[in-house]
Amino acid sequence: MSGAPKSGAARAARRARAARGSVRGAALVVVACLAALVASWTLQAPEEADASAGLRGLAPLSGDREVPLEWMPPGTSASPVPSDEIFPPQTIAIRFDHQKHVEGIGLSCKVCHEAAFDSLDSGDRLLPDPTKTCDSCHDADHADLANVKAGTDANGQCSFCHLGADAGRGGQVARTVIPKPNLRFPHKKHLDRNIDCAQCHGRIDKLELATRDQLPRMAGCFNCHAMSGAAQGEAKGECITCHLTDRGGKMDTTFATGPLVPPEWLHMAGHTPDWIDRHKTIAANDSKFCASCHTEESCAECHDGKVRPRKVHPNDWISMHPEAARQDNPRCTSCHQLQTFCADCHRRVGVARDVGPGMRDAGRRFHPPPEVWTTAPRSGGHHAWEAQRNLNQCVSCHSERDCTTCHATRGVGGGMGVNPHPVGFENRCGSALRKNPRPCLVCHATGDGKLEACR
Amino acid sequence: MAAFSALALIAAEAEAADVEIQAQTAAQAYEVGSPWDERGLERRRIMQTLGFSAYHLQGEYEPGKADYQARLLLRLDSDFGLSSHLGSDAAGGETDFGVAGGAFYAAGLEPARVDFMYAYVEGRDLADGWLGFKVGRQPVTDVLGWWSFDGGLMRVTTPFFAQLEAYGGFEQRGGLPLSSSRYEMQGMWRGSHADFDDAGSPTARDLPSFHEASPAPAFGFALETNGPPWVHGRLSYRRVYNTGDTITRQLQDPNGGYPTASGMRLSSERIGYAANAGLPFLGGIKGGFAYDLYGAVVSQAFGGAEVYATDWLTVGADVDHFEPIFDADSIWNWFSKQPSTSLTGRVELEVTQEISFSGSGGTRLWRTEGDPDTFGQGECDAAARGSGAAPCNLGDPAGFDPVSNGEAADFRRNEENRSIGLLADGLGSLAGRYRDGGGIFELRSMLQAGERGRRVGGELSGEKGLDGGRFTVGSRVSVYDWADPTREGRDATSFGYVLAGGFQPLQEARMRVEWEHSLNDLVGNRFRLVGLLDILVLR
Repeated sequence: MSGAPKSGAARAARRARAARGSVRGAALVVVACLAALVASWTLQAPEEADASAGLRGLAPLSGDREVPLEWMPPGTSASPVPSDEIFPPQTIAIRFDHQKHVEGIGLSCKVCHEAAFDSLDSGDRLLPDPTKTCDSCHDADHADLANVKAGTDANGQCSFCHLGADAGRGGQVARTVIPKPNLRFPHKKHLDRNIDCAQCHGRIDKLELATRDQLPRMAGCFNCHAMSGAAQGEAKGECITCHLTDRGGKMDTTFATGPLVPPEWLHMAGHTPDWIDRHKTIAANDSKFCASCHTEESCAECHDGKVRPRKVHPNDWISMHPEAARQDNPRCTSCHQLQTFCADCHRRVGVARDVGPGMRDAGRRFHPPPEVWTTAPRSGGHHAWEAQRNLNQCVSCHSERDCTTCHATRGVGGGMGVNPHPVGFENRCGSALRKNPRPCLVCHATGDGKLEACR
Repeated sequence: MAAFSALALIAAEAEAADVEIQAQTAAQAYEVGSPWDERGLERRRIMQTLGFSAYHLQGEYEPGKADYQARLLLRLDSDFGLSSHLGSDAAGGETDFGVAGGAFYAAGLEPARVDFMYAYVEGRDLADGWLGFKVGRQPVTDVLGWWSFDGGLMRVTTPFFAQLEAYGGFEQRGGLPLSSSRYEMQGMWRGSHADFDDAGSPTARDLPSFHEASPAPAFGFALETNGPPWVHGRLSYRRVYNTGDTITRQLQDPNGGYPTASGMRLSSERIGYAANAGLPFLGGIKGGFAYDLYGAVVSQAFGGAEVYATDWLTVGADVDHFEPIFDADSIWNWFSKQPSTSLTGRVELEVTQEISFSGSGGTRLWRTEGDPDTFGQGECDAAARGSGAAPCNLGDPAGFDPVSNGEAADFRRNEENRSIGLLADGLGSLAGRYRDGGGIFELRSMLQAGERGRRVGGELSGEKGLDGGRFTVGSRVSVYDWADPTREGRDATSFGYVLAGGFQPLQEARMRVEWEHSLNDLVGNRFRLVGLLDILVLR
């Protein structure tokens, strides 16, 4: 940076007037400059402060002190840092003390961030235009960014604000990079509703440097965004109110920093390493929430898949699945129809009774011997106990005919009359019979006395 | 299909409509062994999907304004390995009843099954956000399960934090055209009888348990909250009917007949509710149940709570209750059956943004109607008393008749002898994940052990994208051990690995090949080859 020495405050004021071209703007800048002069008398210069308490404006609070929670954006208690996927990492190569400018000098947010008041796109540049703001008070001239002129005052030197400044080598300063956020956010709509900056960004007026940490948290957004879909106004709670979507209206979830996943506190849907074991209770409650990101294919991939999902069924599943089916019966039926998907294969390999003679070799038993499994008193190894614990397992191989061989009443086509009903069945069989007589008629003859009793 | 063709044309006309065409080809080759011998099923499967979506059919999309879309996904699932394990004298025997006298015939098996996974037209945000609709084949997901029907759904969203949904149509059922059996209630073996009764084909009497699929009228409604993100609940009700003729008695009556039941009758009627609520800085609770109005049982109930103890630590506890229920046509609703209940505690550690672990432990309780340890002796003694014989020796119950009436039967039906017995399994799991922008590394392990058997093991897997994701490499290694006390000689330890590679030659296409090799004492080496090709074209 180079430039002839100038009277910083006067020059800045002149330039500001010219740039704004309005009496109101000029008045604002004059007030600001007067405040700056007062401040320069009452506050230590940064360099002087550096000698005693460290350089200000390099972190939210000097000495890298932790910012009190009440000064942080709402929702920080739930999400200590902003999402990398929504607010990609930034490079802030500038030193700036918001507290000094706001509390010390008395500037409002709008003086520097005026663009926010007209912004409808989260990607808009909302940082101050130095020619309209900084140069008003600082002894510098940013009119030509390829040839920025530093003043003679200490506060007009590049290194006063810029990191990486090296006036001796071409005036290069380090570049501040603030990638476009991956969300929809019209600042104007919020500001027009008198939602002030602190309601989303926290008490930046108390801080020195504003960093990514001062960007909003989703938990804070929900302070207002909790309205039903048909409600008036636009503070609706749907994900796509703020999040970017694909052409089909599903949320974009793939970003350079990683996949966008819900925080654990949102519907208790944290996609933790064991999420696949837990997701059913969340999907059962609010599948529309899942559908914010997932299409039908996401569900079908596992629940109606034709390629074994390894996350659910690990290697060598075919060998292991009989024991898994014994132990984990709720899971089988969440994807498989027992009498078709499971039994189709079991019949083909002969692990079923109701099959053609070519498919089941004589003398082969899957279960323990009959004297333990079927014909003897119900000792611990009897099939009745296994059926009570996990009837689904039986149904994955056996057809109705297998069971009725013994459990049908004696009068019906060769049944043996072994009563399979639970205790108390007699008290509710009438209702069942009225709604659907078919299962009764599988085992009982039409004129069966017990059937009549139910009727 | 014709309707969708018309919509496609409309979409093509509407310049602003976004059109998406997708396809997936999955080729798989592996073998399913018999538990007893060298015989194995040769699976040579090709699965092909073809999807079409047209978004914003109305033209320009404006958030919050009425928006229309049409989507369908057609699937072909074929297996070229059917009957290949049979000898030449039985070639085609699994699908042709006329071969070998039907000795190998597997009813319902289709060499190439085609179904629509979904096919619907949807309207959203009609009438200033008050109304929405969906017409066609569509899934419904709630506490009553993942279900699909052909019909219409109407949704009314109010400004008062409540939404009402009502739908009606026909349940998707296997055996009907372009349908899958995936969404039916359990317990009925249904399929198409279209080829029955022809020469060389079976009759319904040959396969009395294999019922002919018929249209199943269904309707339901749901009332759920809408808006606040910290609380949500959904009340669901659904009723489905069976129609058509179905054989009742499974064994031929003395006159040689198989009676049937006809007409509209209940298939299922269920109601359920699920909800969760939470505070971001504290924790959350959730719960739900599904009640089977036909069987008068709570088929499913769950609950849980978690506390966000610190930024990196979450602890929680869950309970899960499950009792099998079946289609109202099925006999199994009325067999003695008991629920299982799982109680688990859970810890989640988020070490860094990239590294996290989840661990859980608990128990699963199995119930029986009676004490298996004492019931048999009591039954045996009662039988012996009835016959005037000496006290029964359970190890050698000579002359015991399991279907006799008298004292043994009285003993079996006596409620005092059928108090609830409990058996407990121990449960445990540990999962971990390391994820950065270009790859993922995961650990999954589990333990379930008790008197009914044991499973324990785990696997490590990793996937890494190279050259900006153009190439992918992956692998998986696993060790599992299991034991089944009811099946002698079926305990085993298994080692397996998977090697995978992917390539994305174009933005629109992605390919992947996986090689799987498993090894255990029961079957020796087992191999599996999977090839995937995904295509997605946007316009």
